[in-house]
Amino acid sequence: MKKKNTKLIVGVVIIIAAVVYLVASSTLSQSQYFMTVEELQSNQAEYVGKNVRMSGVVLGDSIVYDPQTLDLTFQVAQIPGDHRVIEQMGGMAVVLAQAAHDPALPKITIHYKGPRPDLLKDEAQAIITGSLDKNGVFQASELLLKCPSKYQSELPDQSQ
Amino acid sequence: MFFAGLIPSYLALLAFLVAMVLTILALLRKQSALPTLASHLAKSAFILQTIGVISLVVMLVLEDYTNYYVASVVNPAMPGILKITALWGGQAGSLFFWSWLVSLIVFIALSGKRKLIDAWSFLVLAANVSFFLGLSLFGDNPFVRIWALSDGSLVSSLFAPEVGAVVHKLGIGMGLNPLLRHPGMIIHPPMLYVGYALFFVPFAVGISTLIQKQNDNRLIHDTRTWVVLGWVFLTGGIVLGSWWSYDVLGWGGYWAWDPVETASLLPWLTATALLHSFLLERKRGIFKRFNFVLVLLTYLLVVFSIFVTRSGLVNSVHAFSESTISIPLMVFMCLWLVTSIGMLVWRWKALGGEFEINSPFSREAFFLYSNIILLALTAVCLWGLIFPLINGAVTGNQIVLDRGYYDRTTTPLFLLLVFLLAVCPLIGWNVVQLKRIGKKLWIPLGLSLLTVLILFLTGLRQAMALGGIFLVALGLFTLLTLTIRDGISVGLPKFWGFLWRQRNRYGAWLVHAGILLIALGIVGMETLSTNIQGTMLPQEKMPLMGYAVEFVSVSETYDNPEYMTAAAETILYKDGKEIARLSPAQHIYPERGQFISIPAVDSTLGRDVYLLLVGYDVNVPYITLRMSINPLVNFMWLGGIFLVLGGLCVATTSSHEHAEEELKQEEPLEI
Repeated sequence: MKKKNTKLIVGVVIIIAAVVYLVASSTLSQSQYFMTVEELQSNQAEYVGKNVRMSGVVLGDSIVYDPQTLDLTFQVAQIPGDHRVIEQMGGMAVVLAQAAHDPALPKITIHYKGPRPDLLKDEAQAIITGSLDKNGVFQASELLLKCPSKYQSELPDQSQ
Repeated sequence: MFFAGLIPSYLALLAFLVAMVLTILALLRKQSALPTLASHLAKSAFILQTIGVISLVVMLVLEDYTNYYVASVVNPAMPGILKITALWGGQAGSLFFWSWLVSLIVFIALSGKRKLIDAWSFLVLAANVSFFLGLSLFGDNPFVRIWALSDGSLVSSLFAPEVGAVVHKLGIGMGLNPLLRHPGMIIHPPMLYVGYALFFVPFAVGISTLIQKQNDNRLIHDTRTWVVLGWVFLTGGIVLGSWWSYDVLGWGGYWAWDPVETASLLPWLTATALLHSFLLERKRGIFKRFNFVLVLLTYLLVVFSIFVTRSGLVNSVHAFSESTISIPLMVFMCLWLVTSIGMLVWRWKALGGEFEINSPFSREAFFLYSNIILLALTAVCLWGLIFPLINGAVTGNQIVLDRGYYDRTTTPLFLLLVFLLAVCPLIGWNVVQLKRIGKKLWIPLGLSLLTVLILFLTGLRQAMALGGIFLVALGLFTLLTLTIRDGISVGLPKFWGFLWRQRNRYGAWLVHAGILLIALGIVGMETLSTNIQGTMLPQEKMPLMGYAVEFVSVSETYDNPEYMTAAAETILYKDGKEIARLSPAQHIYPERGQFISIPAVDSTLGRDVYLLLVGYDVNVPYITLRMSINPLVNFMWLGGIFLVLGGLCVATTSSHEHAEEELKQEEPLEI
């Protein structure tokens, strides 16, 4: 019985080894840094041309969209990257609302070519993948927007 | 309504806790049967919870804007059905609804004729219901009201936050997020939740079996139907979610490897492996340990998936944004993880069944390979979700693994799985002679090569697409020829009855055909889909792959109180002939400052022509339009239906009655 299973076990080990290799190599090659606007700006030179993902709050007044050329530019402002910090400040909704109207926060200009996403608007949280070009403009390859929280913030705060 | 909802909910929690105490007392007296009183208490608790849920629904429908949750998900303009489904449209409501569903499953398990739930498994189930109900009531209570304080400010709280505060009724609610107002999104969460909850029963029985060291086949005999049904619901939920994102998110994508999507796939993968190893243990008595590991793992991954969705720790479009309940959920999950590992280690020796596989080309061996690949996929996806968390905790750098990672790691594994699935029915149980496979392989192989040849001659040149279609065709033709062969040997008059009696086997084949069709859809979307985007003036045409779309007009209408509709009139041509008039639109919600795209789709089984209104101006007028041609995509939804139907066929067989009979009947067909 032992002998019959040897082949099988060898096969299984090979499969596992292949999967581990696949995971390890993909993790190394596909990892993207997830940064805040501030982190990216303070190390601009280091990240030019590198694939990064960034989170910030959309500034509604800065949105410029040309439907002819599909050029979309807008600014995002700094929001904290740490979950606990956001929680302490009163939750994501509060952080977004404050950050969108605080001129003192670091900002970065985003350029994206493509259809304007449905959820792109003031105080939305943008999660943007792309890279920084030489002029300090972030060239986005992917935009992800979240903004159900704005409406929550119009409701009263939870006491307790 | 506030008290009618809140009080029964607290009483339900109390009833579950008392039932647990009674059960523990019984266990201390060495009685392993469930005390009748505990069972009655749990059933009554479910009735009480139902009253709570109904109260919340009534508040939603009657638009009781003194309730915080109601005010956040309902508004007067929403149709009645959406007001009901708003029950699971936000965090607090959906958590409450989820705890009710778990309770419902416990109620059904307790009401069955067979004594499925003993004291130990009841304890596990009751602990789960109590936890989730407690989490809902104390972590994120859906009955929280809005109060006006004496200084005029508003706060939300269950009871008066200070002396003199009065309940305040808001004039209007916020309404459900427009993206969630789609039939797919309305049914998707309950289906997923029911699927999740069904896996709780096998887990409870598994833990009970381990504790009591019962070395019979109780786990399979008693819980197979639960696992199959759980799988069916989970599958349905995932496919609906995918259809929703194809239809609503506006970019024609069906799967984005978003953390929440990925998390819901995890228990599906292990449950799929479990179904196979159940079958193998039933037929051959091997894989007993594997079964236990998978039952426990599936439950843990369900809890993990709930954690990912609700904790807000993972960045995802689907996740409920912020959450006070992540710590209790994490602790709960870790407790069960430790318990499960402990139980397995403790009983590992006792679980040992024979593990003998005669030939690396037997069906047993193929089941083993499939399960290893399914587990490898689980590990790969789990890694993708938790590596960023671990890395963040260790190095302080936040990194993400997105599509690129999943595409690279899962594609080869999925391809391998589809290959195994395609050839598996050709391979017999136990020992196999390769010659025999060759004989059976002939027809399907020939037919699928012919298919690919025809496609090649008609102009399809992408190697990946041809390869994918070949694999799928091989699998489908194999299933088809084997079914026809069975039909010939049984004789047509008796064939339908035969199919029904053997629905365990043909149901599984239907499921496999469904997976192959989904694979076909994915091949179409990933290798053959093309799109073009452009801005057009009236009468202008935009061509793509033999099709062309002509812009006629664009208009704005205000017939809905909540949104303005911008709709473009377009004509779709194929080879110069008009085939459809399509009207891609946007719904613009001025008060939300949000718009959602309503794509217009011309669908045939072979392809979708998918039009998306990207931008417009009624004064000039012009539109910016995105046109995609998505070949084969509809096979994905058809495959989804196959999965659910096939799963239901399997679920209606009981493992007791059919196992023996089927063994006798199936063997002669393996020629």
